[in-house]
Amino acid sequence: MNAAVTHPDGAPGPAARPRTHPYRQPFTWWLRRRGYVLYMIRELSALPIAVWWVLFLVEVARLRSGPSGYQPLEGWFVAVSVVCLAAALWHTYTFLSLAGLIMRIPLGEGNVPAKTIVRAAFGGFVVLTAVIAGLMIWGGA
Amino acid sequence: MSTKETTGEAGYAPRPGPNRLQGLLWAGFANAAVLIALVAPAHILIQGVLAPLGLAPSFDRKYSTFASALSDPLVKIYLLVVIAASFYLFGHRTRYVIHELGVHGKLAVGLAMYGVAAAGTAVAAYLLFTLP
Repeated sequence: MNAAVTHPDGAPGPAARPRTHPYRQPFTWWLRRRGYVLYMIRELSALPIAVWWVLFLVEVARLRSGPSGYQPLEGWFVAVSVVCLAAALWHTYTFLSLAGLIMRIPLGEGNVPAKTIVRAAFGGFVVLTAVIAGLMIWGGA
Repeated sequence: MSTKETTGEAGYAPRPGPNRLQGLLWAGFANAAVLIALVAPAHILIQGVLAPLGLAPSFDRKYSTFASALSDPLVKIYLLVVIAASFYLFGHRTRYVIHELGVHGKLAVGLAMYGVAAAGTAVAAYLLFTLP
């Protein structure tokens, strides 16, 4: 608990300033526990994913250079993509794992078990990944 | 726009009843997060890792296949939806991360982050739908 802040009469300086908030978490609160760190990584996983789509838009913009001028991203793009892929997989794992908690699907007098929902979500992810990968490879062949 | 969060830190006074704007923002987040969880890894793996390394072909490595794919309006709409979802996911999550790191200007941060997401989506729409 925080000690009460005293305000000496007439004394200028920081001690005289009233506190508008009783307590603020320190900026590094998320470094205290491994679970907090993983939580923060999950929350920030959206950043590399968004960055990757920005890079894809750079490729789209390069299409305006025409057939002779078009150059896809190379080299460093692979390194960036590996980081983005790790973030995307972490987002997928954490979010689909929560599907059983979030979703309530009525079944008879109860609900579909949470484990079944999570397994279906990951099954859908595998199928969709295969379909999208197949379409992209087919489109580039 | 709802005024339920606009009174600032000092004068925060939630109104009774459901906050429909917050509900819509979280519903948008849930849908965007599911979509990105299901489709983003496949795009990044093929387009960002395997194809540049020469381990698999991908539609965006050659002008002819890239332009051909993007000439289909369904592909454009699909990509725009995925990109919009990704930017929205980024804006929504970053809004709360900034709050959790101690920045309490929730309305200003929210407007900034959703604004970035909206601007990015507008740029994506322009690039995708104005190709020669």
